[in-house]
Amino acid sequence: MSDSNAKFRTLTLLVLLAGSVLLTGCLGPWDQKQSALDPRGPLAQDQYNTFMVTLYVTGFLFVTVGGTLLYTVWRFRSRKTDDPNTIPKQSHGHPVIELGLVLASAAMLVVIAVPTIRGIVYMENMPKDLHDDAIVINVTGLQWWWEFEYPEEGIVTANEMYIPAGRAVHLNLRADDVIHSFWVPKLAGKKDLIPGQENEMWMKADEPGYFYGQCAEFCGDSHAYMLFRVIAVPEEEYRAWIEKYQEGPAIDIADPGAWEPDDAHEELIGKGIDAFRRHCVSCHRVGDQGGLTGPNLSHFGSRTTLAAGWLDNNPENLHRWLAEPERVKPGNLMYYGLQGMTGLKDIEISDEEIEAMVAFLLALE
Amino acid sequence: MAESIVHDTHSSAKGGHAGAPQKSFFGLLKRPGEGCHPVIDWLTTVDHKKIAIMYGAAALFFLVLGGVEALIIRWQLAGPEREMISARFYNQLFTMHGTTMIFLAVMPLGAAFFNYIMPLQIGARDVAFPRLNAFSLWVFLLGGVLLNLSWFFPGGAPPVGWFAYAPLTSSTYSPGIGTDFWVLSLQVLGISSLAAAFNFIATIINMRAPGLSMMRLPVFTWMTLITSFLIILAFPAITIALVQLMFDRNFGTFFFEAGEGGRPILWQHLFWIFGHPEVYILILPAMGIISEVLPVFARKPLFGYPIIVFSGAVIGVLGFAVWSHHMFTTGLGVIALSAFALLTMLIAIPTGVKIFNWIGTLWGGRIRFDTPMLFAIGFISMFMIGGFTGIMHASVPVDTQQHDTYFVVAHFHYVLIGGSIMALLAGIYYWFPKVSGKQLSERWGKISFWLVLAGFNLAFFPMHFLGMTGMPRRTHTYRADMGWTEWNVWSTVGAFILGLGMAIFVGQIIYTAWKGRRCKADPWDSRTLEWATTSPPQAYNFPRTPIVKTRDQVWADKYDSEEIHLEWGPEEEHGIHMPDRSWYPLFAGIGLFIFALGWVLFKEPVPFIPGFANFLHLQVVGFSLLMLSIYLWALEGPGGYHLHPDKSKDPYA
Repeated sequence: MSDSNAKFRTLTLLVLLAGSVLLTGCLGPWDQKQSALDPRGPLAQDQYNTFMVTLYVTGFLFVTVGGTLLYTVWRFRSRKTDDPNTIPKQSHGHPVIELGLVLASAAMLVVIAVPTIRGIVYMENMPKDLHDDAIVINVTGLQWWWEFEYPEEGIVTANEMYIPAGRAVHLNLRADDVIHSFWVPKLAGKKDLIPGQENEMWMKADEPGYFYGQCAEFCGDSHAYMLFRVIAVPEEEYRAWIEKYQEGPAIDIADPGAWEPDDAHEELIGKGIDAFRRHCVSCHRVGDQGGLTGPNLSHFGSRTTLAAGWLDNNPENLHRWLAEPERVKPGNLMYYGLQGMTGLKDIEISDEEIEAMVAFLLALE
Repeated sequence: MAESIVHDTHSSAKGGHAGAPQKSFFGLLKRPGEGCHPVIDWLTTVDHKKIAIMYGAAALFFLVLGGVEALIIRWQLAGPEREMISARFYNQLFTMHGTTMIFLAVMPLGAAFFNYIMPLQIGARDVAFPRLNAFSLWVFLLGGVLLNLSWFFPGGAPPVGWFAYAPLTSSTYSPGIGTDFWVLSLQVLGISSLAAAFNFIATIINMRAPGLSMMRLPVFTWMTLITSFLIILAFPAITIALVQLMFDRNFGTFFFEAGEGGRPILWQHLFWIFGHPEVYILILPAMGIISEVLPVFARKPLFGYPIIVFSGAVIGVLGFAVWSHHMFTTGLGVIALSAFALLTMLIAIPTGVKIFNWIGTLWGGRIRFDTPMLFAIGFISMFMIGGFTGIMHASVPVDTQQHDTYFVVAHFHYVLIGGSIMALLAGIYYWFPKVSGKQLSERWGKISFWLVLAGFNLAFFPMHFLGMTGMPRRTHTYRADMGWTEWNVWSTVGAFILGLGMAIFVGQIIYTAWKGRRCKADPWDSRTLEWATTSPPQAYNFPRTPIVKTRDQVWADKYDSEEIHLEWGPEEEHGIHMPDRSWYPLFAGIGLFIFALGWVLFKEPVPFIPGFANFLHLQVVGFSLLMLSIYLWALEGPGGYHLHPDKSKDPYA
């Protein structure tokens, strides 16, 4: 009777174990858009490998220690058949066992410590062989968007970073308002952008790809809407992209009179230029015209997203963003104005103007 | 009252010292004595047991409040791009949830246990400074009120996170007074914690029963001592940081303003050199409780008592050497990163030792699965998972991916719910008969345990996956295409199951305190000194001084040889001297509260009262009341009365 019971229990335990293993298998895949478990560059790969080491070590400890706990609780449970007056042996401990366990756990930690220290050095110092053809990008985090400056190429853009696949990128991380954190899980772990502090990091994409990134340090109302993209492209495409940016925007807004519309759509774009110059240009820059406090919009039409990676870039979303920015992104400074400056909340923009600006902005390819 | 009461003063009992003051020098407020109105009794009590009950009740209230805040958070996250609540409200919720749970729920629940159990475990009549103890209670309560008052002011609660990183907290980026409420209420709560910690240290060092040497102390009392030392060493750091922040916000200093030569990173160092020991302030009492519960229900002494005590102390010391592991992504450089990574791994060893010893305690025992034991075993397994993810975070390369993601949220909830809360629940189920003389229903206790365990794991285990697949913390929503929806749904379902389990627990506590059936004085066949008296204990705890012969004294009394049985000191001829109650701890607390409120509101115009430009007058009022109360407190004299224990009520008499 008790024997068959024990068999039944063992069987249940095995089924449960097998079930949980299967379940874990079903939980995947792990290649979500922002997944650290799907590394696409050497640094993220190294961090992933170290993670797996820690997972195996702690998994082993969990199975052995947790298993021992389960077994102990099971084996030494009080049974109905027990004599209630039995007192178990009042033992107080065993120094050798305890010392042994201390040493064993220290040994387990060494297994983790070695790749950890190696990983720290790797992460903090870009490997020498990647130095030579590395590009430099200055990243500035602002509430709630990203500015990407390519100092050697003289390019400034926002929220979407183009990098050449196969070449390392050296990032200088700066913040002007509060602390942000730059994180593209598939390429590298995060590093903070702290006002008054000059942080740097490196990363590299092995293959071309479209990578999701996000601010990882709480930075105020719209922290959840502070996304970005890193777009790794083949070398030639990267060069073409650089050249396009260096040439300047598709439309020169310095002289709106120079815009000669051929059709109704281009006429709308012309109106958009006027509206843009009226309402936007004190903060946003197109080419060499405009302010520097907002994202540079010189090639806005070629971006895949808007509002710092939150919305896909299409006419409807852009229209919504311009018509009700405070709904899309609460607290945003385009609406409220930067530190006492005028924002969209202070001015009336008609629906026609918005239509026109949408046409204009999307024409900035 | 059953005891025959003799109302006289200490001085007259000794034949009258002419100069000894009997009551307040000014006669402003008489110290309420025995037989006063119950409301006055509770407001002016200096009895550690009543103070503990008020601590516990208030902490449970705040636990429910913080829990409701968490459920609103989970409701918002149940789907992508949901707009159940605004981003600002969400940010306020997670700020208040974290601050409430840490400072107003878990810490005071620990304090409730320290207050109730520790003096009993060391055979004392009360803590060393009973009025200071009452002061700690009122300051904690009013600090909690102050924090939550922020909801009712324009701008509402602080939206800055419980960690309040500068410069987001500056007056530029967080102009609302919610942040001032946060700063001042944390200052007030810090005063409460510090006063309590000094009190507990003085009590444990000085007031142990004869024969109760340090290495015979119950582990819970040991952990009380270590936690109290952590509090007095950790809180000054955040006190300084909060003063600096207050000055930055209100008086034009630039401690954290980069543009003016300050350093935002300074806040993080000061905050975490407090904040990491704070983690151990939350978990060491839990470990103490577990170390009491396991031996009782395994019917075996703690395995490796000296090593458990020593590893608790090592955790306490090392806890001050690992703060920068909260800052692995701030650009510390190779040397600091490596040092803090290794130190953090090191702290896993004493923690692991505790787990080994707890399993060793169970090994060879006769394990009974009453509710406290279920929670205790739940604690070991859940805390272990939280510990393992902690080891992962110690590895810097791994942490750069996990930091500020839901993986970390999962980690510290495994440590704080699976760890602290589970242990505190174990402690409540274990000591409830001691406190109330009544027993909680085993059936409902077990229902609550399984709901809590299942709900908790369903709520927090998927967060490991969310974090590793890139979901950052403190984001009020997420894009539908990120692949996080399903796990968030499970997590929300789990959170509500956990909420149900906790609701059953709280309901059960209230019901049983009201209508529960009486139980034996020692229903669990326990081992330590707090069970060598009635349940609940009389006001004087022990009628005579216990003289301790061994560790696990009460167990020895029941099962061991005569020569190590507990002895009792001589009866006191004049009866037991009891202190009078006092109004001044409460008044001093109210004074401090008004003073702090004045510092929050001093730039605000006063509504309805023309002529009052601002609330600056509150500071004057509050500070005066505080000073006057402390002055009169010092002068009110011992007072007191004598109790003669009644054998029919107290078999130990």
